[in-house]
This record gives sequence, structure tokens and C-alpha cells, in this order.
Amino acid sequence: MVINTQSPRVLERRKLLVQLMLASHPDSCLVCDKGNQCQLRKLGTEMGIGLVTLQRIPQLVAIEEANPFIERDLSKCILCAKCIRADQELVVEGAIDYIGRGFSAKPATLNDMPLEQSECTFCGTCVAHCPTGALMEKERAYHGTATKTVDTVCPFCGCGCILHLEVKDNQIVRAKPGESPVNHGTLCARGSYGYDFIQSPERLTAPLVKVDGEFQEASWEEAISRVAAEFKRLKQEHGADSLAVLGSSKCTNEENYLLQRLARVTLGTNNIDNGSRLYSSASRVGLGQSIGFPGTTNSLEELEKSEVIMVIGANPVISAPAVGYAIKRAARYNSAKLLLVDVRPTKLNPFANIWLKPRVGTDVVLLNGLARVIIEERLFDEEFVARKTDNFDELSQSLKPYTLEQVEKVTGVPGQDVQRAARTLAGAEWASIVYGNGITQNVNGVDSVMALANLAMLTGNIERRGGGIFALQRENNAQGASDMGSLPDFLPGYQSLDDGQARSDFEKRWGNNLPSKAGLSAMEMMEQAQAGKLKGMLIVGENPAASFPRPSLIRKALSSLEFLVAADMFLTETAKLADVVLPSASFAEKDGTFTNFEGRTQPVRKAIEPVGSCRPDWKIILQLSKEMGQSMPYSSLHEVMNEIEELLPFYQRPASADLEKEDVDWAELESDSVRTRRLYKGPFPSGFGRLSPAEYAPPTEPSGNGYPLTLLSGSVLHHFGSGTRSLRSSRLKEFSPSSWLEISRDDAKNLGLGDGDPVRVASPVGELTTTVRVANSLPSGLLFMPISFPDSPASELFDIKLDPRSKAPSLKSCAVRLERIKP
Amino acid sequence: MTRTKKVTKATLKKIDTIIGNYQGQRWGLIPLLHDVQQAVGYIPPESIPSIASGLGLFPSQVQGVISFYTQFYTEPRGKNIVRVCRGTACHVRGGKTILKLVKQELGLEEGETSPDMEYTLETVACIGVCALAPNIVINQETHGNLNPKKVARLFEGKRKK
Repeated sequence: MVINTQSPRVLERRKLLVQLMLASHPDSCLVCDKGNQCQLRKLGTEMGIGLVTLQRIPQLVAIEEANPFIERDLSKCILCAKCIRADQELVVEGAIDYIGRGFSAKPATLNDMPLEQSECTFCGTCVAHCPTGALMEKERAYHGTATKTVDTVCPFCGCGCILHLEVKDNQIVRAKPGESPVNHGTLCARGSYGYDFIQSPERLTAPLVKVDGEFQEASWEEAISRVAAEFKRLKQEHGADSLAVLGSSKCTNEENYLLQRLARVTLGTNNIDNGSRLYSSASRVGLGQSIGFPGTTNSLEELEKSEVIMVIGANPVISAPAVGYAIKRAARYNSAKLLLVDVRPTKLNPFANIWLKPRVGTDVVLLNGLARVIIEERLFDEEFVARKTDNFDELSQSLKPYTLEQVEKVTGVPGQDVQRAARTLAGAEWASIVYGNGITQNVNGVDSVMALANLAMLTGNIERRGGGIFALQRENNAQGASDMGSLPDFLPGYQSLDDGQARSDFEKRWGNNLPSKAGLSAMEMMEQAQAGKLKGMLIVGENPAASFPRPSLIRKALSSLEFLVAADMFLTETAKLADVVLPSASFAEKDGTFTNFEGRTQPVRKAIEPVGSCRPDWKIILQLSKEMGQSMPYSSLHEVMNEIEELLPFYQRPASADLEKEDVDWAELESDSVRTRRLYKGPFPSGFGRLSPAEYAPPTEPSGNGYPLTLLSGSVLHHFGSGTRSLRSSRLKEFSPSSWLEISRDDAKNLGLGDGDPVRVASPVGELTTTVRVANSLPSGLLFMPISFPDSPASELFDIKLDPRSKAPSLKSCAVRLERIKP
Repeated sequence: MTRTKKVTKATLKKIDTIIGNYQGQRWGLIPLLHDVQQAVGYIPPESIPSIASGLGLFPSQVQGVISFYTQFYTEPRGKNIVRVCRGTACHVRGGKTILKLVKQELGLEEGETSPDMEYTLETVACIGVCALAPNIVINQETHGNLNPKKVARLFEGKRKK
């Protein structure tokens, strides 16, 4: 069949239709923000429509939006429904649909309320898809038409969405969603509107050196030579292990690789770690032991095709929005069954088929209960278990005590629900398990992860396309930073320090002996600093004084160092304590690669020149190493990536060996580009998966004892991490300026609290003040507090008790009491 | 959507039972809305979120469907529905004046319902009995060949105003 779209008759009709649209469209093209990108204008131009001769029908609609992100001007709406489809089919939020019909039809929220009073999350996807100026970005810092565009990777969460940055006059004009298998033309509020921290007036523009307790601007040469001299002195006087380096899960792979080389070769210590220690080390340890690969096993596209999706200890709608969108799409449009395990209802609840609410900290028991049902009822994939895993007998032996009655007693989840969930999970051809910080940051984190891996292996969901384990990462390059060996006990690519062969490979390559003793992990560095054993530290792109537990203690520890260097974009809580502060370039000002939570390695591209005299961290590292007498032989980032590919088993290009496999992804091989490369290639690098018994350790500080409430901490949609960047993004800050505490209706009533009332929250170790928000959905006895506001840091309430295996503190829940502050 | 009366708990419960009959069935939206309207007389906007979640739709979608069809109402309606014809034939024969008179009689504007829930005043485009124009329809009954006197008689005694 031939469909003619350009015949004279068709063109005539189309022309009339466009003329009719223009007749009811305001003549504001000259000042319209969509400008040259307006598709209505483009169509009009293409068809040679000049002045519209039809009678004009002016649409007089007032623009009334109080939010700082989106401006709706419905007089420019052409009723194409792209915003509605973006909302319902891509991000699956359902905030808008048509209301009315005929002339009065328009896209509207429920009850035609303003966006800020609706379900809208301000993800900006509709704005990007709107062909005219009906939906526009509001309150931009810089207006202008882009002169160039750059595709790069979003610097916030671990999803790794492609950002399409529009640039003019060395400023970012706009961020739009790029097309990629991760985000499919969607973004979240952080990605769409959070980029303006780059242009924040608080950006550091020159190196700062502390003289008599005051910061003074210095030249790069002065600052670097001061750092080099101090580090050399400390190394000489106290040995290499008196120095430590904290790398960043926000820096590129190349930077982390160089940073660990700096620590291991130039400084000569394994005291190197990165910020993801706090939230993903349980994953690393647990998955490493079970499936032999410390990360996600499948791609987001495969997640979307799963028949059953289990989400546990994660609120992907907030912590990893692209994953949240994929899960919602799967549930609504692919009829995937959603099995939700969370004590707090989330925005996924309307999509869930089964919702289990285990008591805080009892996930292991529930997961073991599920595994027991699956084994008991022989629902497991016998062939897979027999051929690809070992330790089955030991596992089933260890599950004996986890009867339905016992599980119900400990977790509070009714036995029949456990049974139903187990059958659902095991009954699917493809089932996926998505977990996040609710698992990894909780007590028993490592055991919970292993219990999840057991479930995936028992149901045979490791090697299948469409089924697997999805370990969400909080930050953009958490996976990459660890892959690159910014870890105290692993060389790049998780090659053990004890592995003589691996060590000698690196020693040969770097021409130096490597320290063999495992170094200090992030929290141990703070302990040693406090004890006076650690003398000097280099912190790149991390803000432990705000993001680590007990910031007040961390600040004390960092202050007791003899010499602290911070490389950051802002004068953060940590940088304020430093002796030298080196101004770093932002993500938009440098090249490199980020590895997202899936293991997809994607290129970060420079869009603008660094602000002031800022330099990308990799240049800082190279210069510092040179100044210390160990110049690293790289002339470009490309050379660094080549070395990474050569030495890291995971990062190797698809090799010829892959060609022998049956299901070779030809597109991937042919393009051979970094962008499409994924790290996990097939099941069990070691050949088999290990079913590992997971043990439950009851919480040591049960509620009661004067601390009757349980506080959960977590992230919120319009901020990120400890807020270093998001609180400096003017629009995000305006929308959500300060912290709050969510409290259940019952508890609020008992304590006589209402919205906006100030309260003091106290735990056995710390206290803070904030204001109350009553949340209908929260069960009584639970409180929730966002972690993104350093002014009232939720992390102050958590005790520093390290899990012996992951060396990470439990940061998800603690017992607290609440006091009303009398006005 | 201004409301005069708040919807009662009993009504919402009645609606929940109806939703239960269509649980998870997206195709059932329009029959469900009819059922609700039959049982309650209108579709309370408060019930939109629960209708949506029962069927696996978004509240905005449900609102979209309700607002698209003129026979779905989101406000309570009177016991008697008065429809004044505004079709061409009626207009030519003075339909506009008839509407004005009915408005005066009932003390209502188009689309309004009297506070005592007795009358709802609406207009229609044509009711198909142009030969008898001008017409009005009260509930199921058509009244034709109207003049001011007849209009006054129609509502005599029925309105205490």
C-alpha cells in the first residue's frame, strides 16, 4: 500500500488545518520561549503559510502557575495530546487528561487544579514533548536560543539518563531528555530543572588556601604545590598509611581510576574508598558472594518485559525515577504483576498486586520465608538449581526455622500473603527483583541481599532475559567508582589485593610496587582521623561532613587531621574544614564516562568551559601526582579509558569470544561504542552461583526505652543526596526549601501536632529540630525524614555501628522520641 | 465544580459496592458510571479516585470520560429535570423568551439546581417535535405550543416562590 502524504489534495487539507490552528494561536512567536523549536511554526513555514486570513479566534486564558518549573499557556495549546501521552504512557503519572469536549476541551489535572496541587511531579517530560509554547520551562536563569547541543549523562541518581543540554554563550540554556534505552525521552524534576547549580553564584572559582584560619584565594600552582609538599611531609614523618583518599561516586570512571592510582602508587596506601560505601557496599558484598558479580544483572528494557516485578526496600519513583517509570509501564501496559515489599506506601502502590508490610528490619525473615515456601512446594527451577548453583542442601537446611507461623510472628506479614507472594514470584517465566537502600542501608543488609539472590537463583531468574536482580544505586557513578577500584580492599575490577597475579599485572603496568595491606574504608578513615592515626586526607567530590552519619562527630574527626584537601564545586561543610580547597569542574564541564546502576557505561561530554579557573578532577589528580614526583603517563582521557579496558575484565570490549555465543547482540558488537556496552555478560562469571544461608539478627535497640517511634530516612524527589547540588539549584530549592518530618495521623493526634508545627526529634545519640507534616499514608509508630537538608541532618540521629562485612553503618531506621517545641 | 451538598458516607459506600462489580476491568468504566448515576443520581467527584483505582485507570482519565459525555453529571440534580429547547424551530417561535420565563419561574440559571433539589434547569439543542415549537420537556413529558401563560401554569403551585 502506498500512502501519499504530499499529494496536492493532502497538502491543501493540511494547510487548511494548520491555518485553523494558527488562527486560534497568539502571535507571540517573537517572544515565545519555544521559538525556533516550535513545530507549529515549523509546519507553517514549510507550507508557506504567511499571515492567516481566517477570522482569528483569540483564546484568552490566564497563565496561573505558582510552581517554579512549568508554565502552562493553554492559549498556545493545539490539543495534540502529546503531554497527556507523555504523562500517562511514558512516566505513567496520570496527572493530566483532557477535560470537556469541543471548544472547551483542554488538558487538565483532576478537578482542573493548578499543577502544584495535582499529582504532577514536574518531571518536565511533557514540556519536552509539547510542540508549541503551551508548556514551557519557567524561571530559567538564562534565556536565549541554543547555539549548540550536547548529549551527556545526568549527574544525579544512578539511572544514568541521557541529558540533552542546550548551550549558548558558555551557559546551559536548557536540559531536555535524550533518547536512550534508559530514559526513553523522559527525565525527572532533578534532571530537567536541577542543572542550574552549575551557574550558582556559590560556585568556587579559584583555589583557596587557609592561612591563619581564613581562606585566601591562591593560584593553582601555589595550591597544588602546598598539597604536594604537605602530603610528602606527612608520608615521610608518619608513613604512607597516615594518608587517605576519599573518591566520589559522582566523579567519572577515569577520575576514580586515576584517584585510586594516586592513592596506591603516588601516596602508597590502600586507604581509598568512595561515598557509595554508605549505601551500596552491602550489595557489593552480598551479590559478590552469591552470584559472583557485584551489581545489576539485567537491563531496564528487560525489567520492563518481566512478568513479575518484586520491589523491596526501594522507592524507585523517587530514588531512581527512570526505573520507577519502567516498573509502572510494565504494570500498567504489559500486565506485569507488581509485588511490593515496603512498610511505607509509595507511589507504586496503586500499581501493586500484592503489598507486604514487614516490620522495619525484618526483611531477611520475610525473604527466607518466601524461599522456604518455594522449596517446600517445589516451585523452584530444579534444572537451573541443579546445574548452575551449589549449596542447595545447606540453604534448605538453614530455612527450616522460617515457617509461615514464625515469619508472621517476626515480620507481621500474614502467612497466606507470604505464600501467595512466593507462588507469584516462582510462577513467572521472567521475574525481576528490584531493591534499593531500604535493603542495603538497613541492619542485616548483606544477609538481605544474599536472601534476595537466593530467591532469584531458586526461581532461575539470573540468566534469563527479562528476569534478574536490579540493585539500585543512589548516585550516578556509584557502580563505576567501585568498578574502578576506589575501594580499600580491591584493585580495579574487583581484583583482590591478595591475588598475586592481578597485583603483578598492575605493578608491571604502573611500574611500582603496590601496598598489599587492605586499607581503611570510609567510616574507618573517620575513626582513625579521630584517633589521630590518620594525618592527611584528600576528599574529592564528597561531603562526608553532611552525608555521613553523625555529622558533628565527622566534623570533629576531619578537624583533627593535620592536613585536609577538598576538591569540590562548592564550599561544602567538608570543604570549610579543609586546609586547601581545589575548585572542581561540574559534570557539564568535563569529559569522561559514568557507569549507571545497570552497568551501562555512557559517555559524559563537555558542554561548556569550566566556570572561573575550575578544573576537572582528573586534571587536578594528574597535576598533583606530577607535583609529588610520580607523573602519570596519560596525555588524554582516551588513554586512561584504553588502560581501563585493557586491565579490567569487566570493561573489556566485546571480544571475539562473544561471537561464539548464540545470542550475540550484533548491534552492540558492530557499534562497539562505549554507550551500548554493558558490564554483565551472562550468568555467573565463576561458573556457578552460590546459594548462601542468610541469617537474621534481631535489632539490638528495640523501640521502647523512652524512644517509642521508629524513624526512617530516605531521599525525596526534588532534592538529591545531602543537597550539596540540589539546594544550590534555585528552582529545586524554591520548591522545597527546608526539611520536614512526616508523621502518621494517629501519632500526630496523640501528640497534638499539626502541619508546620516545630518539633524536636531525639535519638539516643543525637537530636535535631524540624517541622511536622502529617502524612495520611504512614502507619502509626513510623516517622519519615528526608536526608537532603544539612541544616537539620537526619543522619545526626543514627549511631555509627559498622556492619562487619560491608563496613557500612546502618542508616535507614532508628528509634527516636518526639517533643513538641512550644512556640 | 461548585458543590452545594457534601456526599455522604453511605453514598460512597454504595459507590464502592458498584466499583467492586467492575474491579480491575478497564472496559467497564462507562457501564460503571451509568450504574453510579443510576444509584446516586450523579457521579460525585469525590468518588473519582476510587473509581480510577478500582479499574486500574488514572483519576484524570475518569474525569476526562465523565466530562466528555453530557449525560454524565458531577453535581447532584433535582427531582425534576426541566429541559428548554433551544433548537432552530423553537428559537424562531420565541424559545428564547420561553427560556427567560422558565428561568424567572424557577429562579435558576441554565445548568443550575434549586437548593431544595426539586428542579434542575437545562437546555437542549432539539427534541424532535419542531411542529409543536416552542417546547420544553419536564422529566419524560413534552409540553409544546408554549406561551407565557402556559409556562406560568406549568409551574403554578409547584413553586412556592
